Amino acid sequence: MSLGPLLRKELHWSRRNALLLAFLLLLLPVFFAGTSVLFQDVLPRNVPVAVVAEDDDVTDQELALVADTIDSYTDPTVVDDEAEAARQLERESVHGIVGLPAGLSDENASVTVTWTIDGSIVPFQSPSEVIGSLMQAHLELLFDADVDVDRQVEGDLADLPEYLFPTLLMTVAIFFAFTYVPYLLRRERAVLDRLRVESSLEALVAAKLLSLTALLLAPVLVFHAAAWHYDYAVASLDAGALFVLLLTSFFLSTVSATVTVLARFGAAGTFVNLVLMLGLLALSALVFPLGFFSTLRATIAGLLPTHYAMVVVRSLVLKDVSLATYLDFVGMLVGFTLLALVGLKLSLVRYRRTS
Amino acid sequence: MIRLQSVTKRYGGVRAVDDVSLCLGGGQYHGLLGPNGSGKSTVLRLVLGITRPTDGTVSVSPTTLGCGFQQPNVYPDLSVRENLDVFASLVGADDDDWREHVVETLRLDRALERRAGDLSGGFARKLDLALALLRRPEVLLLDEPLAALDDVSKARLIRFLREYNEQGNTIVVATHRVTAFESDLDRATVMHRGEIVFDRPVEAIDLEGCDSLQEYYVERLLAREGVR
Repeated sequence: MSLGPLLRKELHWSRRNALLLAFLLLLLPVFFAGTSVLFQDVLPRNVPVAVVAEDDDVTDQELALVADTIDSYTDPTVVDDEAEAARQLERESVHGIVGLPAGLSDENASVTVTWTIDGSIVPFQSPSEVIGSLMQAHLELLFDADVDVDRQVEGDLADLPEYLFPTLLMTVAIFFAFTYVPYLLRRERAVLDRLRVESSLEALVAAKLLSLTALLLAPVLVFHAAAWHYDYAVASLDAGALFVLLLTSFFLSTVSATVTVLARFGAAGTFVNLVLMLGLLALSALVFPLGFFSTLRATIAGLLPTHYAMVVVRSLVLKDVSLATYLDFVGMLVGFTLLALVGLKLSLVRYRRTS
Repeated sequence: MIRLQSVTKRYGGVRAVDDVSLCLGGGQYHGLLGPNGSGKSTVLRLVLGITRPTDGTVSVSPTTLGCGFQQPNVYPDLSVRENLDVFASLVGADDDDWREHVVETLRLDRALERRAGDLSGGFARKLDLALALLRRPEVLLLDEPLAALDDVSKARLIRFLREYNEQGNTIVVATHRVTAFESDLDRATVMHRGEIVFDRPVEAIDLEGCDSLQEYYVERLLAREGVR
């Protein structure tokens, strides 16, 4: 048995691939060990909520008092009008609205504070009941009036499978963009020289990105069939949601293509894309809304376009809202896509210059 | 015409091509000769625009180029026919008779439905050559075109290239084994370590007692290296 020579061969191989091994065995563990600090809470403690007056007689002092009181278990913001609060709820900027009626300081009054949540945000349904009970107890102590907290649900109550539906679809898009797209681009390496003579790298990559983005319609149809089969109350073929999903896929595919080109179609690009994919899946707050995370992690998620894409797709699939509500998010996604295209172009220029 | 003027190509600290001036075209059958690593392939890549010169200029007057690469450049996941279709469409080659003629000459017809990645080295080479010829290029650049071909296929290809050149097309063959092309070449450029050792019409070369151009250029290079 020639185990010894083969083990020596492994040593030679390891020496030749020291950078790759350092990446896999050192850098990647550092990344994952580091991200563990971002997961600090099991129950949401920083849930963003809007505190809004439902009556002109509510004073600024009452609004401020309520915000201060619920500050220990939420992240409250006093909002000027109910329409703005509703808009923030639609956009997942807040997960609940505390609506204050007049008469809170009247000891003879009996008032009802409304605690409105979004029915589509399933992970918040149970925590919102706990928060409602806490609010009830605290506000009764705070004000002279007899205070009752009434929990209301905006829109239809979704169930967990329906809630996860757009999340899983987005996960497929991210997975596709960071695995299949770079894999196919790497397969082009065998014929790159001929393609560069007969066409251009730009045309090659553009054709690849467009065709692969269109291919994403296949899993969309599979999900649509599943939704029909299970009788989910989801708008799985909503045009706005499809547009944002395909745009996100195109953006992420452009990023993964840029990495692939920068790595000169080599294996290093595959590993970098893998890390990007895992990072986006872990940090984009795809499953739980931002309010469930530590401030640091919520800040990171707030910097990632995939988070905003998820909010838009989830809202359009689960709620009866218009794409116009999220135009700034879509604009941001378009901006990131354009930046990614510029990055891709520069990577192609670099590739040519260093060939 | 294709002109290289004082062209140098460096890869890091290595000069793959060093101050090379060369003129290719005019319907000549041009041999670019030299041992491994002499810079022949880099000259072809410079002409094709795949790589850019570090110094000097490469100018290619309007013409159609076709190239057979040292490593066959084919889509391994597609069949031979699909490869031909894709590249014919890409270069706008719509002459079906010509395509059939090329396929028949290279004996590719019995491999049309096979996946390119499953082809033997010889068939992959033939497919690469077929792709180079698809649009009937005025200038055909071939990098070691006989590598991996059997003797019969070599003879067929040499005959085909001779006829193609007689039709007025320029052929540039980069090879370290000139014997097979020796009787056909109009001009020979010998390269060594990135430099041109000599560049002249074959008929003007004094073989200095050697039996063949192959023997002569090898002797010249050995002398240059101080080996006698």
